[in-house]
Amino acid sequence: MTKILASTLVLLLISSFQGFAQKKAEVWRYEGPRVGIDLSRFLVPYLQKGKRNGWEIQADVPFKGNFFPTFEFGMQWFDDKRDGFRYTNNGTYARLGLDMNIVKFESMKDHDLVFIGARYGYSLFNQETEGIGYTNYWGTLTSSVPRRTMNAHWAELVFGMKGELFSNFFLGWTLRAKFPLSVSNDPNIKPYIIPGLGKTATDVPFDFSIGLYYRFPIFRTKNLPKPIKVGGTKHPGANDESNPNNQGSSGSGGLRNF
Amino acid sequence: MRFYLSIISLSLVALVSCSDGNGCYESVDTLMVTSFSVNDSIQIKTLVIKGVDRNALGDTLVNDQDSTLTKRYTLPLSLSADSTGFVLEVNGIKDTLYIRHSMMMIFISENCGFAPNYVISGLRHSAGIDSVKITDKKVNPKSIEKKTNDQNISIYFSSAAHK
Repeated sequence: MTKILASTLVLLLISSFQGFAQKKAEVWRYEGPRVGIDLSRFLVPYLQKGKRNGWEIQADVPFKGNFFPTFEFGMQWFDDKRDGFRYTNNGTYARLGLDMNIVKFESMKDHDLVFIGARYGYSLFNQETEGIGYTNYWGTLTSSVPRRTMNAHWAELVFGMKGELFSNFFLGWTLRAKFPLSVSNDPNIKPYIIPGLGKTATDVPFDFSIGLYYRFPIFRTKNLPKPIKVGGTKHPGANDESNPNNQGSSGSGGLRNF
Repeated sequence: MRFYLSIISLSLVALVSCSDGNGCYESVDTLMVTSFSVNDSIQIKTLVIKGVDRNALGDTLVNDQDSTLTKRYTLPLSLSADSTGFVLEVNGIKDTLYIRHSMMMIFISENCGFAPNYVISGLRHSAGIDSVKITDKKVNPKSIEKKTNDQNISIYFSSAAHK
């Protein structure tokens, strides 16, 4: 009896191990909205003239695997004291846009991006100037420009990278070319720094930002997004049926809630 | 990927941290370009210009002792009043000229600051000045860049009074 029981137990144990060995490990790709802060806003006061402080948050969500609708919002305070005047402005700004990843994801765990994109930006701010001094043959004049509420619209083209440092934490940078569309008029002084737009001395101001992001992994999929074809080029391995990571025909098929 | 990300990030920080230049390379002097003449034959032998009620040492704006048919000088306008008066002494004869204007301080650049911009709205002069022609009523820091034959106002003195 004892022998029968022991044999049965051994057989049961062996069969359960075989069951584990036959079960295939599932590979999932986790995606979700990403939120970050612009670290470069904290560096600017030490790198450029004038007291310029501010903060900016950035957010994007994945769409069809390679597209990322993006929203950015920030505030800026600027205080520039010079020999002949003191200029201050402060305000808020927002940008809405879309990024497109242009590199191939190497595996289900690869979330590194190289992207190009575009933005529309809007800023609402106040500016004033005081302590304006000027001297000529007739004497010295001290005057000021009263506080005025201004706004600005602009478009941006962006290029950047985002790399996953460790699980769900990303570090990225963005290079921006900005194209002012309109700036409200102040008869005394054209604003030389606009929150969100930057310096207006050049026709196309350039800017960069470095962001630290966290992605909320609230979606998972078994499909690796296919790379975007640029001009009909074929990415190596894009149609490779033997690649175990290419499990679907589209990046969004098979998305499942966690 | 992370390596390239770090290197490019640091490079961009270094690149953008280069601050813009410190110098002011634009004109901040707002001066009214003025030409003086009598007629085609009478020379201006001496020209002395001062501001009205400005008789202290060093208040002379122009002291030209060269004899020429025409002269051209730049004159400053008042910063606080809505008109500016000059005493013009040509060949020993004194005349006065009052220029009515509006003024607004206009921003030039962050390195240069502000400068006054005027718009001439009227004139008043004494009898020894025959006429004053306003060629360009806008007086701003770019006025001093006007070419030799271009000016803001042209003053024609009476030939009878300034022989």
